[in-house]
Amino acid sequence: MAVILVVEDDVFIREIAEVMIQDWGHEILSASDVSEALLHLRSSHQIDALFTDIYLKTDVHGGCDLAQQAIALRPRLRVLYTTANCVTDKLQALFANGTQFLRKPYTEDQLKDSLDHMLAA
Amino acid sequence: MPVSDIAASDIVETVPSALIVLDRNLNITSANRAFYQTFRTSTAETEGCHIYALGNRQWDIPALRTLLESVIPHRASVEGFEVEHDFPTIGRRTMLVNARKIFRPGDHDGFILLAIEDVSEERAARKESNRNWLLTKSIVDTIRDPMVVLENDMTIVTANKAFLTIFGSTEAETHGRRVSELGQHQWDVPALRHLMEKVLPENKPIENFEIEDDFPSLGRRVFNLNARKISQPGNHAHRMLLVFEDITGRKQRERDAQTLTNEISHRIKNNLQIVIGLIAYEIKHTLPVCIPGLKAMQARIGAIAQLYDVISQSSRGRTVAVDSYLQEIAKTMSESLLGKQSGIGITVKAEPLEIDPDRAVPFGLLVNELTTNAIKHAFPDGTGHIVLSLEQIGDEIELVIADDGIGMRDKIVAKIPEKRGSDYVAIFVRQLGGTITTASSEGTGTIIKVRLPLLLAPSGGAEPLAA
Repeated sequence: MAVILVVEDDVFIREIAEVMIQDWGHEILSASDVSEALLHLRSSHQIDALFTDIYLKTDVHGGCDLAQQAIALRPRLRVLYTTANCVTDKLQALFANGTQFLRKPYTEDQLKDSLDHMLAA
Repeated sequence: MPVSDIAASDIVETVPSALIVLDRNLNITSANRAFYQTFRTSTAETEGCHIYALGNRQWDIPALRTLLESVIPHRASVEGFEVEHDFPTIGRRTMLVNARKIFRPGDHDGFILLAIEDVSEERAARKESNRNWLLTKSIVDTIRDPMVVLENDMTIVTANKAFLTIFGSTEAETHGRRVSELGQHQWDVPALRHLMEKVLPENKPIENFEIEDDFPSLGRRVFNLNARKISQPGNHAHRMLLVFEDITGRKQRERDAQTLTNEISHRIKNNLQIVIGLIAYEIKHTLPVCIPGLKAMQARIGAIAQLYDVISQSSRGRTVAVDSYLQEIAKTMSESLLGKQSGIGITVKAEPLEIDPDRAVPFGLLVNELTTNAIKHAFPDGTGHIVLSLEQIGDEIELVIADDGIGMRDKIVAKIPEKRGSDYVAIFVRQLGGTITTASSEGTGTIIKVRLPLLLAPSGGAEPLAA
């Protein structure tokens, strides 16, 4: 099972996602913004994947910036983005190479499929 | 025959200009045929006559006197001396006079050869052209949008007052320069240059070429550039009118509206995520028999959220383009329900029609339900094809969802719980004011036709009709 860092500024959405992910046997680490997430990423804790919202608090592309920094810190890290915004080509251009995307709102099944796909990649 | 063998008199008789030869006393010694024709006179009336006395003294012109009495005595030749005069026989004319002194061997007094060309029409055309140009310039100056007129070689002939004022330039700074050289070279854009080069030779106008840049003393601005070839009747020269429309305010309002729309859409979808999360929480604590219904509810909420994106991407101002809307729905469903490895394909065949946004959501949900049913039940072996088609038939619109799957009979037997989906279909069809028919038999697939009243307008047509 994997260790997944979940970054989401909406507490309810984050906790529901965390409950789902834990139910599938994964360990979760939790953050509500870029700086909290970077604390985890700079620690020695094992992290296999980052599941991050893109619009974090006031930072419109916070999740994209976080993913770039996270991959710089941990090159083997897998990334799954999510957002409630419309996904334009301009936004997709900000995604790091080899990363995946899940559109909001997502169901439990869709999240599981996306996580399984990301972890199997 | 060499030119040198041709007699001078023959040449004189054939040239189109009127020629006369005067002696030192300004008496006419000879004239050519063109002179007699132009001034409607004869040899008898002309030769030996003093130039000023000729034809009721019609050549007694102060300007000609100046030429013959003050200029010629001091110079061997004069060219392009313009004389405008009201001739009694031929009316008001403008004559271009070239004069040359001719000396024969032993003759110190010499003669004066006058070549007289009637340039009245040319001068009138030039005056008319100047008048038109001044009129055009005065109109152009009153227009509030900055504009310039360019020559064939792309240099500026004139810039209107609005251009000079807005861009803080002077006529001297703009005249004769290329647009790409102006200011801080904001207009030096390869794509614009390419388009401008086609305006005159190919008569290809430039429509709404948008440039956003920082302009000295103006700040950040967005301009829409439009260019047209302009021609003047009777004049073969063409020029280009280039108009700069400042759309900064409009662009900002559009961006603000888009930002607001995105913000609202973001909040709605986050709230729908919370609803789906709440249902997920219920699923964890409910009886197994309730789970499929709750999951179906989650899927429908997800479909509504996705339709917001689809509508915003297919939107053409006040209406939604149904053709691209169906394409987006098909793409979204393929991604969310089928995946890349699926053996089930979805094809869209839609006429370019438009729908008003109020009806786009029930329309999209209807397509979503019918297509989802086909995906779920028509292809137990995981391979097949679904065609979504839409066309206008008379006063109605026909939406067809056709699959080449196992047919309805097997589907109904195998999937009784899906009746709920059919109920939703009936509700959406009623909401859209339509009717639904199903044709299906075992092994031949299912064709569902939904006829809707003409609530869709042809692409680029009138406002969408209310149902």
